[in-house]
Amino acid sequence: MTTQNLIETNNLTKQYGSVRCVNSLHMQVPQGAVYGFLGPNGAGKSTTLKMILGLARPTAGSITLFGKPVNDKNRIGLLADTGSLIESPSYYGHLTGEENLHILQTLKGCPKEDIDEVLRIVRLNEARKKKVGHYSLGMKQRLGLAAALLGFPKLLILDEPTNGLDPAGIQEMRALICSLPSDYGITVVVSSHLLSEIDQMADHVGIIRKGELVYQDTLEALHSHAKQQIALRTDQPASVISLLHRDGIEVGKEDDYLLIPMIEDDYIAHLCRQLIEQNIALYRVEKREKSLEDIFLSLTGKESSL
Amino acid sequence: MKTLKLEFYKIKRRKVWLTMFAMLLVQLLWGLWAFNNPKEWELESGWLSLLYSLSMLDGIMVPTMMSVLASRLADIEHKGNTYKQLETLRSAGSLYHAKAVCGCIIIAAMFAVQFAFFITLGYHLGYAGNPDVKYYLLSYVLKIASNISLFLLQLALSMLFANQMVPLVAGLGGSMAALLLMFVTNYSFLPWGGNLSAALVMSDWDETTRISTYYYRTFTSAETAAVIAIFIWITAFYVGGRIIFTHREA
Repeated sequence: MTTQNLIETNNLTKQYGSVRCVNSLHMQVPQGAVYGFLGPNGAGKSTTLKMILGLARPTAGSITLFGKPVNDKNRIGLLADTGSLIESPSYYGHLTGEENLHILQTLKGCPKEDIDEVLRIVRLNEARKKKVGHYSLGMKQRLGLAAALLGFPKLLILDEPTNGLDPAGIQEMRALICSLPSDYGITVVVSSHLLSEIDQMADHVGIIRKGELVYQDTLEALHSHAKQQIALRTDQPASVISLLHRDGIEVGKEDDYLLIPMIEDDYIAHLCRQLIEQNIALYRVEKREKSLEDIFLSLTGKESSL
Repeated sequence: MKTLKLEFYKIKRRKVWLTMFAMLLVQLLWGLWAFNNPKEWELESGWLSLLYSLSMLDGIMVPTMMSVLASRLADIEHKGNTYKQLETLRSAGSLYHAKAVCGCIIIAAMFAVQFAFFITLGYHLGYAGNPDVKYYLLSYVLKIASNISLFLLQLALSMLFANQMVPLVAGLGGSMAALLLMFVTNYSFLPWGGNLSAALVMSDWDETTRISTYYYRTFTSAETAAVIAIFIWITAFYVGGRIIFTHREA
């Protein structure tokens, strides 16, 4: 059985003047996933999400939502099953939280009871009669999430949803996002510039750098790249390489070091004995671990901010 | 219809009605003061002078009010960054339409109250006969039309510029232009001159007797064109504003 992709973009491109913010993006968000859309600030995350929601017009390429190509005519119909929170929450400061949700509930045509339910989920029940202008930033963010959840759509698009939240709020938001696919059958796209955040929430990940999707797969696959290696430094690397090749071990090079896959301690001991016997000086034997951060940085460029 | 109803819901506590009726209150207080203790010749031409005075009064005051109204309706969206959410639920065009219709209803209601009050005042003061229904109705329709054209211009600016100083300054500039126009001409093709062009009553001031004679205006072809221009402005501002709003990115 194949999983349907709720979002598919094909060659999606956005250009402002001579600047290409999003470049030939092929994004695929499987149904039931929490898709982490990761990238440094200014990488093109918000622009991509805005194009998916029809808030920005693609310069080139196409978008498919729920298996149907999006165009001007069917956009609103397709988005009826979508909730979104882009950049900062949208609200009417002179109205109460409940009144704000009433506006969106009417526009979405979902039951009034949804207002109570989403307010309960984001824990804003007690502040429902308070004007949103008097809410804290975190409360506004939670109201934004409540608004996105109204009608319990099939797809939720959240752009940096933890912005402005305190640590407890961030933890809560993460837990809530993780629970949405199992509890409500909602597929979530969540963008962030923080790897740790995506690592804790997502099961699929897309990494964008300077408008280009440089990685897209499951988070598990990304973790598998975070492999451990043994680094050796000797005075005769060529001899060591031929020795290792003879034993069928692949060798890589990094600066003065030879990199070999993580192997058993017994073989390392055997190798060391051999090097001493052949009068090869062994300066260093180190365990190297490529962390998720290293992978992220190598994909996005070290000059980019995290 | 749902979107339009929500427009009225959204302006709850924004005191939009209060702002509009505050302007009316000023006009009403002015009316009570200016029309008090009328002389006999004033009673004779009371209904005519009333229409004339209202046109002048509106020409001075209403352009500013239209910019305030448009700004009050639009800035709730700018302040809360709501377009990016609303436009995932409704097309930008229908959101624009709802705002425009909401403003038009407020304008129609505002002038209905204005006319109702001044007609009541006319009866109270004992103006001779009855108001000419045909002219009063036509005056009401033209007044609404000329101010809707201004409102739509201001709405387009207010919807497009997050900084409401831009439309407000444009509105004030336009009001000044309207005021200056009144000194030099009876009509204008400018949107701010609509109240002047649509005035159905004119007056002649006799310096020796110090008496004004009021009469129903006979429109020259240029003056008729100025009235037609009001409707052209309405179409142009609505269509133009909607197209620009629809094509911008949230």
